[in-house]
Amino acid sequence: MKIRIVFFFITVVAYAQNDTIHLLDEVKIYGNFSPAINSGYQVQILTDSTINSRQQSLGTLLQNKANLYFKQNGFGMVSSISLRGSGASHTGVYWNGIAINSSLNGQTDFSTFSANSYNRIEIRKGGGSILFGSGAIGGAINISDQIIFTRKKETQINLALASYNTQKTLASSQYGNQSFYAKMVVEGKRSDNDYPYLGTELVNENGNYQNYHIKAVLGYVINSNNQLHLFATHSNNDRNLSRTLTASSRSKLKNKENRLLLDWKNFGASYNSSLKLAYLNEEYNFFFNKTSSDFSFGKSNNFIVKYNYTYFFNNTLSIHSGVENTYSTANGTNLKNEDRNNVEAYLLVHQKPLKQLRYNISLRKGFSSVYEIPFIYAADLKFSVSPQVDINANFSTNYRLPTYNDLFWNPGGNPDLLAEDSTTGEIGFGYHSKKITLSLGAYSTKSNNLIQWRPVTGTFWRPVNVQDVSSYGVEFDMGIQHQIGIHQLSLQATYAYTVSKDNTLDKQLIYVPFHKSNAILTYQHKGLSINYNEQYTGKAFTTTSNTQSIAAFWLSNIEIYKTVLKQQLTVGLSVNNLWNTAYESIAFRPMPNRNFELNINYKF
Amino acid sequence: MNKLKLLSILFLTLLFTYSCNNDDTTAPLPLGDYENGYFITNEGPFQNGSGTLTFVDDDGTVTQNIYKTVNNEDLGNIVQSMTLYGDRAYIVVNNSHKVVVANRYTMEKQGTIEGDDIQNPRSFVAVGNVGYISNWGDASNATDDYIAVVDLLSNTVTDKIPVGEGPEDMLVDGDVIYVNLQGGFGQNNEVEVINIDDNTTSTPITVGDVPNTITKDASGVIWVLCGGKPSFTGSETNGSLIKIVNNTITSFDFGDTDHPANLSIDGNQLYYNLNGKVYAMSTTASELPTAEISGLDGFYYSMTTNNGKLYATDAGNFASEGTLKVYNLATNALETTITTGIIPGSVVFQ
Repeated sequence: MKIRIVFFFITVVAYAQNDTIHLLDEVKIYGNFSPAINSGYQVQILTDSTINSRQQSLGTLLQNKANLYFKQNGFGMVSSISLRGSGASHTGVYWNGIAINSSLNGQTDFSTFSANSYNRIEIRKGGGSILFGSGAIGGAINISDQIIFTRKKETQINLALASYNTQKTLASSQYGNQSFYAKMVVEGKRSDNDYPYLGTELVNENGNYQNYHIKAVLGYVINSNNQLHLFATHSNNDRNLSRTLTASSRSKLKNKENRLLLDWKNFGASYNSSLKLAYLNEEYNFFFNKTSSDFSFGKSNNFIVKYNYTYFFNNTLSIHSGVENTYSTANGTNLKNEDRNNVEAYLLVHQKPLKQLRYNISLRKGFSSVYEIPFIYAADLKFSVSPQVDINANFSTNYRLPTYNDLFWNPGGNPDLLAEDSTTGEIGFGYHSKKITLSLGAYSTKSNNLIQWRPVTGTFWRPVNVQDVSSYGVEFDMGIQHQIGIHQLSLQATYAYTVSKDNTLDKQLIYVPFHKSNAILTYQHKGLSINYNEQYTGKAFTTTSNTQSIAAFWLSNIEIYKTVLKQQLTVGLSVNNLWNTAYESIAFRPMPNRNFELNINYKF
Repeated sequence: MNKLKLLSILFLTLLFTYSCNNDDTTAPLPLGDYENGYFITNEGPFQNGSGTLTFVDDDGTVTQNIYKTVNNEDLGNIVQSMTLYGDRAYIVVNNSHKVVVANRYTMEKQGTIEGDDIQNPRSFVAVGNVGYISNWGDASNATDDYIAVVDLLSNTVTDKIPVGEGPEDMLVDGDVIYVNLQGGFGQNNEVEVINIDDNTTSTPITVGDVPNTITKDASGVIWVLCGGKPSFTGSETNGSLIKIVNNTITSFDFGDTDHPANLSIDGNQLYYNLNGKVYAMSTTASELPTAEISGLDGFYYSMTTNNGKLYATDAGNFASEGTLKVYNLATNALETTITTGIIPGSVVFQ
């Protein structure tokens, strides 16, 4: 197994030749995350060599490899994303193209989502509600399995032992031929997670967790124009909720998710289409006291029918359209039986009038049984100044629809809430050569009617469309590849400057650091791979008045892998928090001290 | 020469100090930095933070975060209430499940009352060398609420008195302690009566829904303010002011959707907060006042009165510093506005 860390910055990947074929194939395989129809956006792609190198949560992976910022309630606890200074429910998260943010709170817990067995993760920063729907304001992240119809038979076993009595196991088997593909994955993790709080006598009490995931992927070629893809996952997480520096905890949270997706792909010489039928089910049980049988719960079901159709008029012009119906239900301790139906449709025109220029114009409208869904529109373009240099720009309007908790939580839910709306624009510059890639971009976003839970009395809170936020920032990415004989060196470095202000208070939002940076240095020689990762997270305010903050921190990780036995066996050693830094992601919730992981991967 | 000079200064100093200590006419030494003034307890952010104490000196100086400054440790999560008793301050830290004991004048920590027998503590009162701490127990369990009885010499729990759901404010009255059963996360409508002699309970007194504050006037009458069930419960009830004289109950009912809070007494006037206004009522009145005191409006998180002044806190957005407003009750004029810590929950007077 070759461990290679390769970042493709699609803004700088040229599609100079065979454009239409590329476009058609891209859209066929990657749907709306296809870089081709995201001309004016940065789409960063993590491939399976990066994703599968270790067993880790999606949040840890994206933090280490993609410079994304997460707020984590201590290691293994609930972890939420903030992309470009936006809120936890302002990043759309997709599983094989299906939106999976919780219908209850609008978020994904990046701590419990296991990323290991997926093939590809696309990270598209910037507004994307037209192609991706509600919530894609700061950006959109798609986690996907790839079905490839070639002869293949492979089984992989991965075992890891780590600090704090942590064990991880993964077994994955795939089989493929010209017309059939099957993959099965079973994985489980458990940990005492009782790391010491550096500088205190406390340890991370009540932080133990265990989880397992089962996944099946099937593909079938009906004929040269039709394929069926089936994806099914079940995940089960059981964790205690850890203490803080000042408060002990006896709480426990259980989560269960089931996802099922059938995708019928039909394509011809000048069109392709995809009909998706999906069922998503989520449930949580919260135990205030883990020894008690009393718990509160919430659950929801989503039934999704989604049809995408793309038509290619000629080499330079295509239309991409979609219509989607989502029927969902929810109930729980604080939710009566509620349901809603949303139907939404979009249209995108892609044109390449000049060899150097491509652009998209798009719009979307939806209707709902509970609220009004705004009409939104967008445009983006990419202009290639030279084969090495290009400029991209985009403008979009976006929305986030209220969640079940916002609308119906008892007590407090507000059924009169409006959709949040957001307008964003971005301009970027990219350079790429064989050895160097550079990209520099700036964006500005204005969000209105953001939903905030506000106190009516000390104990009674209610969500209202009250917050206006202005965000802007600069992002810089750099990649350098260097080869000396058979020694390979690469460096990936990123830096983001983020301002996100509450316009009423004229203060930076809490938990949005101004500065965030990441560097990954990789050395490869024969079967040896060394990967050093250094992260900087600037200080972040913890009060809305910006009077208190958590400190900035540097975090270093190192991974060393050696592949032996005809590339069948890989042994890896990782040291996380190499310099034993005391740091917090959320105030009063210390993160782990220096810790170790031994990883063995066997393929046959 | 130099040595001699030094020695003589030392000698003179010792002599002076000695004579000072024996000088009966000199003012007593100050007991501590926090001897004259009042405290504001700040709950702090829920879960991810610590509550704090703000001190306002009689000369107007405001000092934030005094407990941490003195003791170099966080007070804990959700500072619920504080009671001054003897020369000690008992600071009830709800979500850290402890009561911190400190010197009331210096704020130096003297110990804690904690362990399995302190769960979700709410408030503290004391009689002699015995303390009583109201505890919700497990907040999701309606039947495990209790009053912890504490030996104040050793700061250990010696007994637990089971009570109804959601014990909150307490009042010592002769040989009994009245305990408001506010209802915790739910709603209750009783006042528990504890006999101090043997730590048993008598039949509880049924009052209005959600008794939130209790006080006693100069003539010994007990007053309990009940908020009523809020509208979000789906079974809204009116608030009421309950007067208890020798176990005889008189109820003054508020309007169907009125939910008063924060009862306090100053002189012969009762004060409370309702619908963003402040009302006063004489302890001898036969009905509720119809007009508010103008000039004192506000949706206060907590409110109390002391020596002709009204102290009202505003928790703002609950995610940053709050404020305390002090009004003169003779003129109803705002005297001062003070920035507090996060979620100012009570004002406690030295």
